[in-house]
Amino acid sequence: MVPPTYYLVLSAAVFCIGLFGILTRRNALYFLMSAELMLNAAVINLVAFSFQWGNLTGQTFALFVIALAAAEVAVGIGIVLVLYRNFGEIDVLSADSMRW
Amino acid sequence: MVSASAYVPAIVLLPFVSFIVALFGREYLPKRGAFGGIAATAGSLGLSLWVLLSVRNGAAFQETYYTWTTGAGAQDWTLTFGALIDPLSALMLVIVSVVATLVHIFSLGYMNDEDERDLPRYYAGLGLFTASMLGFVIADNLLMAFMFFELVGLCSYLLIGFHFREPGPPSAAKKAFLVTRFGDYFFLVGVVAVFTTFGTAAFAGAESFPALAEAALNGEATVWTPGGLAESTWFTIVGLLVLGGVIGKSAQFPLHTWLPDAMEGPTPVSALIHAATMVAAGVYLVARMYGFYVLSPTTMAIIAFVGGFTALFAATMGVVKRELKQVLAYSTISQYGYMMLALGSGGYVAAVFHLTTHAFFKALLFLGAGSVIIAMHHNEDMWEMGGLKDKLPVTYWTFLAGSLALAGIFPFAGFWSKDEILYEALIHGLDEPLILAAYVMGLLAVPVTAFYTFRMVFLTFHGEPRSSLARDPHPVRWNIKGPLSVLGVLAVVTGGINLVPVKKVLGIKGIDYLHLWLDNHWGGIEGLSSHHYAELNPYSSQYLFGGEVPTVLAGAAVSLGLALGGLALAWALYNVADPDEHTDKLGGIKELLYNNYYQDEFQVWVADNTRAVAGSADIFDQGVIDGVVNGVSSVSLLSSERIRRIQSGVVSNYALLLTLGLTTLLVVFGLLGGWF
Repeated sequence: MVPPTYYLVLSAAVFCIGLFGILTRRNALYFLMSAELMLNAAVINLVAFSFQWGNLTGQTFALFVIALAAAEVAVGIGIVLVLYRNFGEIDVLSADSMRW
Repeated sequence: MVSASAYVPAIVLLPFVSFIVALFGREYLPKRGAFGGIAATAGSLGLSLWVLLSVRNGAAFQETYYTWTTGAGAQDWTLTFGALIDPLSALMLVIVSVVATLVHIFSLGYMNDEDERDLPRYYAGLGLFTASMLGFVIADNLLMAFMFFELVGLCSYLLIGFHFREPGPPSAAKKAFLVTRFGDYFFLVGVVAVFTTFGTAAFAGAESFPALAEAALNGEATVWTPGGLAESTWFTIVGLLVLGGVIGKSAQFPLHTWLPDAMEGPTPVSALIHAATMVAAGVYLVARMYGFYVLSPTTMAIIAFVGGFTALFAATMGVVKRELKQVLAYSTISQYGYMMLALGSGGYVAAVFHLTTHAFFKALLFLGAGSVIIAMHHNEDMWEMGGLKDKLPVTYWTFLAGSLALAGIFPFAGFWSKDEILYEALIHGLDEPLILAAYVMGLLAVPVTAFYTFRMVFLTFHGEPRSSLARDPHPVRWNIKGPLSVLGVLAVVTGGINLVPVKKVLGIKGIDYLHLWLDNHWGGIEGLSSHHYAELNPYSSQYLFGGEVPTVLAGAAVSLGLALGGLALAWALYNVADPDEHTDKLGGIKELLYNNYYQDEFQVWVADNTRAVAGSADIFDQGVIDGVVNGVSSVSLLSSERIRRIQSGVVSNYALLLTLGLTTLLVVFGLLGGWF
C-alpha cells in the first residue's frame, strides 16, 4: 500500500503549481485553470485521508468539491466573458479601475 | 389611590415633549406649536397643584430616579438624578407652571396674532425653558441643579436671540449668555468643591451637605478641607463660589448688566425670564441650600449687602429710562435685590414670599407691557404714549394692580412681602452694621421704586396721547386680556397667604400660611424647615420701642409712608395732561443714571485689559487642547493615506498578499505552537 505521505506530497505539489499559476499568469483562463488545480489538490487530500482511515465521508466530500468546481467554472467563464467585453482583452492586470 | 409623587417626572417631561413636538412638527402644528405648549404647561400646572395638595397632606418625599455614575475606591460618589418635593419646591413648581401657562396663552396674542415668523422655534424654546426650570426646581442635588441651571441659561440665550435677523437681539443674547456664564464658572468650581469636601451634593437628608456641614461645625463630623483650612472659612469660600452663579443668574451687582439688554427678546419671554424662570433660579438656589448658607455669617452678610445695594442701585437707574420694558428690567433687578437682602438677613420665609408675589406681579407687568407694545405697534418709548387708560381698560386696571404691588402699596401683594423683608432686615440688623446698612439701602429703594413705577404708569396711561400711535392703538384680544386678568387678581390677593403683621398686631393665629407651610407644619423633609434655619441663624433679634408689635407697626408705617411719598411725587410731576421730562433737571446725574453708571463701559474696559489672560488661554486651547485632538486625527489621516495604496486593484497583488498572509500565519502558529 502506498503510504499517505506520498499523496500529501502530490497534493502539495499540485497546489503549489496552481498557486504559482495564479501569481504569475496574466491570462484569465490560466487563472481559472490554476484555481481548478488548487481545488483538485484539496480533493486529493480528502480522498487520501478517507482511504487512510477507511471513512467514506472524505470521498463523499470529494464529489461535492467536484460539483462545486463545475459551478465555479461556469461562473469563472462568465467573469472572463465580461472581462473581455469591457476591456477588450482577458489580461487580469487590465481590470484595475477598482482601487484607491 | 394613585399618589402624586409618581407623576413628578411628568411635570418636567410634559413641557419637554412639547419642545420635541414643536421642534420636529414645525409648520404642521395647530397654531404652530402654541396649542401643544399650552396643553403641556397646563398639564404641568395641574400636576403641580396635585403635588402641592399632596405635600399639604404630608406627602413630601425625596426619590432618586437614575444613578448615572457610581464612584469607586476613596471617591465613592454617586451622581444621580432625583426629585426633592418639599413645601418649597412644591410651591415653586406651582409658581413656574402658572406663569409658564399664562405666558404660553399670552404668546397666542403677542406672537401668533402679530404674524411673527418661525414660531415653532419660539414655542420649542419656551417648552424647553419651562422644562429646564421645572427640572431645576425638583432637583435633589447640587449637580443636577447645576445642569438644569445651565439649560435655563441656554434657553434664555435662544429666546432672547429669537429675532436673530435684527442686529440687537443676537448681541443681547450673547451678552446674557457670557455674563451669566462668568458667574456659572464659579458655581461649577463650587459644585466640585462641595463634592470634594462632603462627598455628596444632596440637598436633603442626614447625609446631605448642609447637614454634614452643620455636624462638622459642631465637631460631630470631619470633612476634608484644603490645606487644613478652618471649616468655617472653607464653607464660606464654597458658599461664595456657588453664590457666583446666583449673582449671575439673579442679575445682582456687578453681574446685572445682561438683564436690561435681555429686553431685546420677545415680551412674553421677558415675562418668563423675570417672573418665574431664569432670574428666579438664582434666588431659589440660595433658598434651596439655605441650610448651608445660614452656617456662614460672612456669606450671609455679603448676600444681604449685595442684595440691599442692588435694590437701591437698580432702582435709581429705573427712574430715568424712556422705554417701558427698560423700567421693568431695572425693577426686576431691584426686586431680586430685596430677595437677596431677605435671604442674607435671615428672612428665609420673607424671601420665598417675595419670590412668590413678585413672580405674579412682575409677570403681570411684563404681559401688560406686552399688551401696550402691541397697542403701540411695537413702539416702546413711554414719551410717545399717554392716554392709553381709556383705550385699553383691561390692560390699564391690571397694570395698575401690578404697579401698586410693585410699589408696595397696602394691601397689594408686594406690600406684604416687601414689608416682611424690611422687617426681618431691621430686627436682625440692629446688632449687625452690615445688615443695617443693607436695610437702609433697601428702605431708600422703596420711594424710588414707587416713583419710577408710577412715572411709568402715568406716562403710559394718563395724560393726553403724545403720538398718533397712542391716539389710535391697536386693539388686543381675549388671549391677552385673559392672562392679564388672572395675574391681576393674583397680584391683589397673593399677599393673603402670609399676613404676618396682621397676626402679630391683632393676635389672630394661623393666618401666616406661608410661615406654617415652610415650617413643615403640614409635613415636609427633616432639616429643611424655616424653623431649623431660624435655629441656625447667626443673628439675634432686636426690637425697637420695646416690643415686637411697635416694631412691626413702625416698620410698616415707614415703608408704606416712603412708598406713598414716592407715588405722590410721581403723581405731582407726571399725572398731568402733558408732562415734562422732570428728570432732565438732574443734569449730569441723569446722564450717569441713563448710562447705567457706565457699568457696561466698565465691563468692556475690564475685558479689554484682561486680553492678555484671554489670549494665553486661547493659545493653550488652540495649541495644547486642540493640538492633541488634531494630532490624533492627522496621525490617522497620514497613515491611512499610506496604507490605502495596497488597494491596487490588481487581482494578482491581492492573491499575493493573501498567500503571504497565510504563510506568515502558518509560520507564526508553527513557531508559537512548537511544530518545528
